Amino acid sequence: MRGIRANLFAPALFFILVLLPHAAGSEQFPSSGETPRCLGCHAKPGIIITFQNNETQAASVDPGKFKGSAHGSLACSACHTDFEAGKHPARTFKSKAQYRIKAALVCRRCHTNEQIKKGSVHAELLEEEQQGKPLVCTNCHGSHSIARISGKGAQASEEQYCMRCHERQTTLRFKNGEHRAIKVDILRLRTSVHGKLDCSDCHFGFSSDEHPQRNFRTDRDFALASSESCRRCHFDKYTKTLEGIHYAILSQGQMNAPVCTDCHGSHEIARVGKERTASAKRCQRCHSKEYDAYAKSVHGNALFNEHNQDVPVCADCHTAHTILDPFSMDYRERIPEMCSNCHAKKEIVGKYGLSTDVVKTYLSDFHGMTLGLYKMQRGENFKPGKPIAVCTDCHGRHNITSTVGPDATTVKKNLLKRCQSCHPDANEHFPDTWLSHYGPSLTRAPLVFIAGIVFKIFIPIMIIGLVLQILLHIWRYAINR
Amino acid sequence: MKETYRRFSAARIIEHLVQIVAFCVLVATGLSQKFYSSDFSVWFILKLGGIDNVRIIHRSAGLLFSLAAVVHIVAAIYGTIARKWQPSIIITKNDFTSAVHNIKYYLGIENFPAASGKYNYTQKFEYWGILTGGLMMMGTGAVLWQPVFFTRFMTGELVPLAKVLHSEEALVVLLIIAGWHIYNSIFSPEVFPLNVSIFTGYIPRERMVREHIHELARIENRTPEEIREEVREQMQKDATREREAEREKVRRRD
Repeated sequence: MRGIRANLFAPALFFILVLLPHAAGSEQFPSSGETPRCLGCHAKPGIIITFQNNETQAASVDPGKFKGSAHGSLACSACHTDFEAGKHPARTFKSKAQYRIKAALVCRRCHTNEQIKKGSVHAELLEEEQQGKPLVCTNCHGSHSIARISGKGAQASEEQYCMRCHERQTTLRFKNGEHRAIKVDILRLRTSVHGKLDCSDCHFGFSSDEHPQRNFRTDRDFALASSESCRRCHFDKYTKTLEGIHYAILSQGQMNAPVCTDCHGSHEIARVGKERTASAKRCQRCHSKEYDAYAKSVHGNALFNEHNQDVPVCADCHTAHTILDPFSMDYRERIPEMCSNCHAKKEIVGKYGLSTDVVKTYLSDFHGMTLGLYKMQRGENFKPGKPIAVCTDCHGRHNITSTVGPDATTVKKNLLKRCQSCHPDANEHFPDTWLSHYGPSLTRAPLVFIAGIVFKIFIPIMIIGLVLQILLHIWRYAINR
Repeated sequence: MKETYRRFSAARIIEHLVQIVAFCVLVATGLSQKFYSSDFSVWFILKLGGIDNVRIIHRSAGLLFSLAAVVHIVAAIYGTIARKWQPSIIITKNDFTSAVHNIKYYLGIENFPAASGKYNYTQKFEYWGILTGGLMMMGTGAVLWQPVFFTRFMTGELVPLAKVLHSEEALVVLLIIAGWHIYNSIFSPEVFPLNVSIFTGYIPRERMVREHIHELARIENRTPEEIREEVREQMQKDATREREAEREKVRRRD
């Protein structure tokens, strides 16, 4: 209630400052001088009614506001039916509430239920009235300052106009019987990224003039239609989603596929990228299995328990809008790139004692090299016979564990199983063919290290020997001639 | 006395042609895999239809190379045991002294290059270099082709070892072939533009005298000294004839 009163103050001021001078210029109230007579007393501020429970209510009327109101041309007795110019019956009311209910009944003499029902917000109120909850028109519309429903200037801002009804808990009903409770929390709306926008910026077609009646079959249909308004401003993001898997399954008829508002919310849209934990939790609603695995992983654990902001959340790998099918070849081939976004950068992983050589060693080995070339072949409509191992094939997807400390043995133990998914006949020696992202050294893979050194020494010596031999030969031949 | 001598049999000529083809294919497809990130390699690999194709071609050529090598080794062992082949390619102590002798010759300390049999020391070192290198390439190549199979019998570390050996030994073999064999049989001023005996199977006698005098002596059943003496006499005769012809010319002009 306080909200509405506060909201009413501004338009009231508007009427006083702008419309009052006009009214004063033609100070003529119609209807046989009844109004001036009433106002003779009621225009004075300070007149109050006292109820039986000692509640009070101001009984003064601002002539200017009344003149400018929708009912400005009516005589006082048109609404105050018991009263006339010479008739002022004394009445008693138990409480302010009882008075207001009684007073509001007079509105219904002119405004029939059919008329009221046309406004979609009223349908529900009428239903409530039938269940015994009184309908007090003046609670929303005011009394002497009653505004025109249409027409500019009825409210100072569109938001105020809309909030007069939508601040209350209202319910949308859909053809299939579903319903959706709607209540706009004005404070959260104002602090959201869209706090400065008008309602109709998003609710296209609605304004203080128009409130089109729209019918949706289901609650989901309503949500899908509502999210369409986002693209009017965020067209770049919208086109990105068209390439994503969510849109793909939506267009296949899976109506539960998420649209803008499912992840971003509606009136309480937060600034993106601010809170990574919240970002991860958005995906949880549908992908709870993946989320749980992630939460236990080395990344998720650091995010949730240590509040580490370096670790990736869902959107860092899957992206926020162009979410690819994670089982597609395209996505698979991008995985080393995704991981290298952090794991090839010393400034990010260096502080955790992680080597940045992991990507390089992968790319220079059989799998990495093959993958790199497959990527280049892809442009020529090439389909490789089998997928090539990428980071996630050994390290896991959402359940990535640490490769140092107690988890290291688990990684090693699982490695054979992972090799076997592509090399089914591999035995326990096979995982050792991969030098675990380390270059050969005397302690790790000494044979490989020594062989490399031997050739590094031997090949230059051989080249020098061969060149010398050839040069000497030519030189001698030249001398002999 | 013959003008030319048979140096290589038809089987060796065919074998050499097969190895040229196999070797060139192996080098092209192998080097492009070794230096896979260079622009040329990428272009080449994509032209061949992708890395999978390149690997198939490389392995097929490897099989061809291996087959020819195995046939060669079996034939050589059988031929030597059955005494159809002279063990002329075996490295002896003489080859080391020849090497020292030749270097002295190049430096002007000796007047003549080292005398040799059917194969001189450079050819022998080249042969054994290619043979041992080839065997290593075959072995390591097989491991790289079928790592799952080979790790049943050996530890995993031998696979990256095989990769290093295969990749580095390839460079060694390439250097021996490109830097040494190609020089000796194409660009060396003694044979330029091409030593054709591996293609025709024949070698002129005069080259036998110069390059393989011991072999010539063995075939003609004489001593190298007799041949050298004969050549020296021949040269002197030629020189005298030339001088007389010169004098004749001068006299006529007068």
